[in-house]
Amino acid sequence: MKKHIALSLTILFFGLSLHAQIDRSHAPKPGPAPEINLKDPQRFEMKNGLKVMVVEDHKLPKVSVQLLIDNPPILEGQKAGVSSLTASLLGKGSTSISMDDFNEEVDYLGASINFGSQSAFANSLSKYFPRIFELMADAALNPNFTQVEFDKEKAKLLTNLKSQEKDVSAISNRVQSSLAYGKDHPYGEFVTEQSVINVTLEDVKQFYTDYFVPANAYLVIIGDVNFKDTKELVETHFTPWTKAVPPSFQFSRPSNALYTQINFVDVPNAVQSEVAVENLVNLKMADDDYLSALMANRILGGGAQGRLFQNLREDKAYTYGAYSGMGNDKYAPASFSASASVRNAVTDSTIVEILGEIDKIIKEPVSEEELKNAKATYIGNFVLALERPETMARYAINMETENLPKDFYKTYLERINAITIEDVQRAAEKYFTVANARVVVTGKGSDVLENLENITFNDKPLQVKYFDKFANPVAKPNYETALPEGVNVNTVLNKYIETIGGKEKLESVASLAMMAEGEMQGMKLNLELKKTSKDQFMQDIKVMGNSMTKQVLNGNQGYIIMQGQRKEMSDEEIKKVKDESMLFPELRYLDSDVSLESIEDIDGKKAYKIKVSEEKYMFYEVETGLLAQVVTSTEMGGQTMTSTISYSDYQEISGIQFPFTISQTMGPQKLDFAVKEMKVNKGISDTDFE
Amino acid sequence: MDYLHYTRTKHYIKMKANLLLTICLMLLATISKAQEVAYQEYNLDNGLHVILHQDNAAPVVTTSVMYHVGAKDENENKTGFAHFFEHLLFEGTANIERGEWFKIVSSNGGQNNANTTQDRTYYYEVFTSNNLELGLWLESERLMHPVINQIGVDTQKEVVQEERRMRYDNSPYGRWQEQMGINLYKKHPYRWQTIGSLEHLASASLEDFKNFNKTYYVPNNAVLVVAGDIDIATTKKMINDYFGPIPRGEKIQRKTITEDPIAQTIKASYKDPNIQIPAIFAGYRTPKNTDREAYVLDMISTYLSSGKSSKLYKKLVDEEKKAVQVFAFNISQEDYGSYVIGALPLGENSLQDLLNEIDEEIVKLQTDLISEKDYQKIQNKFENQFVNSNSSIAGIANSLARYYLLYDNTDLINSEIEIYRSVTREEIKNVANKYLNPNQRVELQYLPGESTGK
Repeated sequence: MKKHIALSLTILFFGLSLHAQIDRSHAPKPGPAPEINLKDPQRFEMKNGLKVMVVEDHKLPKVSVQLLIDNPPILEGQKAGVSSLTASLLGKGSTSISMDDFNEEVDYLGASINFGSQSAFANSLSKYFPRIFELMADAALNPNFTQVEFDKEKAKLLTNLKSQEKDVSAISNRVQSSLAYGKDHPYGEFVTEQSVINVTLEDVKQFYTDYFVPANAYLVIIGDVNFKDTKELVETHFTPWTKAVPPSFQFSRPSNALYTQINFVDVPNAVQSEVAVENLVNLKMADDDYLSALMANRILGGGAQGRLFQNLREDKAYTYGAYSGMGNDKYAPASFSASASVRNAVTDSTIVEILGEIDKIIKEPVSEEELKNAKATYIGNFVLALERPETMARYAINMETENLPKDFYKTYLERINAITIEDVQRAAEKYFTVANARVVVTGKGSDVLENLENITFNDKPLQVKYFDKFANPVAKPNYETALPEGVNVNTVLNKYIETIGGKEKLESVASLAMMAEGEMQGMKLNLELKKTSKDQFMQDIKVMGNSMTKQVLNGNQGYIIMQGQRKEMSDEEIKKVKDESMLFPELRYLDSDVSLESIEDIDGKKAYKIKVSEEKYMFYEVETGLLAQVVTSTEMGGQTMTSTISYSDYQEISGIQFPFTISQTMGPQKLDFAVKEMKVNKGISDTDFE
Repeated sequence: MDYLHYTRTKHYIKMKANLLLTICLMLLATISKAQEVAYQEYNLDNGLHVILHQDNAAPVVTTSVMYHVGAKDENENKTGFAHFFEHLLFEGTANIERGEWFKIVSSNGGQNNANTTQDRTYYYEVFTSNNLELGLWLESERLMHPVINQIGVDTQKEVVQEERRMRYDNSPYGRWQEQMGINLYKKHPYRWQTIGSLEHLASASLEDFKNFNKTYYVPNNAVLVVAGDIDIATTKKMINDYFGPIPRGEKIQRKTITEDPIAQTIKASYKDPNIQIPAIFAGYRTPKNTDREAYVLDMISTYLSSGKSSKLYKKLVDEEKKAVQVFAFNISQEDYGSYVIGALPLGENSLQDLLNEIDEEIVKLQTDLISEKDYQKIQNKFENQFVNSNSSIAGIANSLARYYLLYDNTDLINSEIEIYRSVTREEIKNVANKYLNPNQRVELQYLPGESTGK
């Protein structure tokens, strides 16, 4: 109260001196609602079935055109990816204009033309529109499918697939739809490396012939054009499109989960979990309760004032955003999903909170205020969208494709306003479920699984089922890396020492000399390595006979020659090279401060991980005892570079096992060396280290 | 960095090969303006700059405020403040309770959001025009007396952490910009990202935040734009009523930080656990946004990588099939810009190979004049962008604020296209020679693998 008075006084003061008196303590009331104007596009239909709509808008000297073919969903099956490849191959010129000339001209006119597998889109300045329209029509009706371009697009698609392998959100989306619909449904199938490999150029041609047909096609032209000229333009270029209907198929009808369950996908690189609670909904735009369903979703999680956002972000700060969304579809069930990306530690709590919010909106009526706000948002969005001429066209297309009553948009605001709290609850009951929901969690299993298995919801435990990144059921991942009884750092080192020749044998070695050959980007490399037990070390790498880098250490002095430049080693470098120069460092690691960390998978084999220092780890195979890998990290110009050296193909020389294949991976570079010669206690003189 | 981030992925959309599209759409955005945009501008007594644009075609109005504060105004030990503030200033005001802000906007059918860059912070609402006064009230409340308290700070600290995880740490190629910044700038605050350091934010005190507010969130450091279905006289009166009483702040002292030129190639690498295909980025430090040469670099960027017939796309993707994707960004900022070219190899092609191919095209640009036809093509592209950039009222409002605040020339909304038109082919060649040499750049190898470094 006190604050309020003080504020009013301040305002009064300012009001008297400079400014009109306003009451800032409450939000100003809106003025009278603005009038809205719903214009219908002008339209005509061509003999081949193509329906054309034109929205004249002369505010800016530009035009956009969209061709949309509203075919039923298509199951691509073993050749999933054929639609994507068809899209990529469309718009590469036509049978009469080469790809280069086509691209050149479109770019030259500052315009753009893009294709989907059953759509096309172009925009340009109005002065260039007739030509751009002609180019788009030509590329759409007379595509230029060539083997060369097909091979290229296929390689790109495969690379793109690979690029998504570790993308947590891509994995999550794929598994969500696949589990919701099943892999044999057009909405549940997905593109894989194998399915892309299966596609041929012929398949693309067939796909185009089957589905790029005018029966369900709409052409929408928006912008600075006049109807009469546009009609002529369309007739000129789209009359040759042959009348045809796409083939149609029946699909299995997907159903919801039998009981609410967690479907977990392990992605070890995830630093956040993607949590999505989903179920199928039979909802079409033409349904009577369509708008009520939108309100229910809006209140639950349609935006920043939705319950999910308020709960998970504003109250608990688990996430940057939590939302729900509900589709509608005239061909198949659509999906509802409530989701958030949350930090690993709160994955289990997030599931409980989301399910709780869904449960609540089903069981309890929403408040009057919530409904009022949800309505206001839809009304506001409806009016704001009128600023864009595209809106008229979208409404007109929806009327046709969704089979909507003629006055659907004219009465839209009225019908929104008439929705009651009971309508919303009925819709929530009908379209949301906590009994048959699928909770798809994509995240780092070693961090989150333990808690996930102990979740109870409405007093019932939630079963956890496990899936791989491609939605195949798998066994529960095993993160046990417990070290077996009696194993310690010395037993691991001793086993290695025994395996390669025994302590006595190794201690008798005074020097080693190695010659190896490798290849890098087509160039031949020669590696020469010499070391002795007297802190002497020499490594020379030659490229086609010329020394690229050479490191030499002799006792407490050392230098590096890199591409002809000689540099003395710093004390720190000397210390590092000294460590490298040890003939069999394991002998010194015994009873030192190196430590056994864990058992890890190295190239599919279990290996003991020994920590030598913060920068260096060594891995010894559990089964054979041999050294499999050394991982070192070095600081270079503020960046930490990790280098991995793998050892294999052990062979005996002078009674000792040495690796004959050595590969080094550093960044994108992989260097494979094959050892050509290994000498023990010979082939070395002090002059090698001068 | 937006306050909100809406990405609802429809479940029934099949996996699409849209690799890195986000990266491509993210930048390179702002070029130039269409048909004469009429506006008027003036100052209130407290120093607030006001720009009005009237367009009564649709019953829509945008109210927005841009503050001249971004990540580059931050102390190096307190990074992330500007962006954090953007979050904090939705927490409520003397007259708007915590959690009410969004309710007020949505219950009146409006839309709002905010975003922060290195140079400025921007807040806006879009309403039907009968709610103009509401929009002005909201923005004046935010400036006049925001509530900055512990509970808001604590909540937003965690929200921002999750934002960082989502955008950077869990996102494929999410950290290339950060890594490029670290290497491209040694002294200037452009070396850190707007999201800043989570440690700095975690250790920041309530007092720190209050001081930041007092320094930068003052009318003499802001521009208010009202655009759309308005009546000028009524709007002016309302602005005076709501913003007039807000006291002027102290003059802001800004430091000038000069970078030493890059004289030797900086080689860097970074490992991203979320990727499988490596990428190469070559980044050059370029002049500030108002410099004519920054415009020339925009044209070079278009020449090299915009459109399927652009030099790099045509060569690397179409003809030689060495890259899945090639892209370039010319990032214009107040103190320095950066021009970054990047590519993702197809199959077994090496990153060095891609870099060599890119260099070959740059050398051509430095040696010969580009063809008359290519020059005309660039001009046509800029004309198309110029027309398209004024398609929405909200877009016009943002451009007006930006040109005033960051270019000190509001009229660029109408005249910027003339700058591009006046650039000659000789200038393109000269600028390529001046800025795009291998020894002036950062070569960033962005690699798959366990994450390295911070």
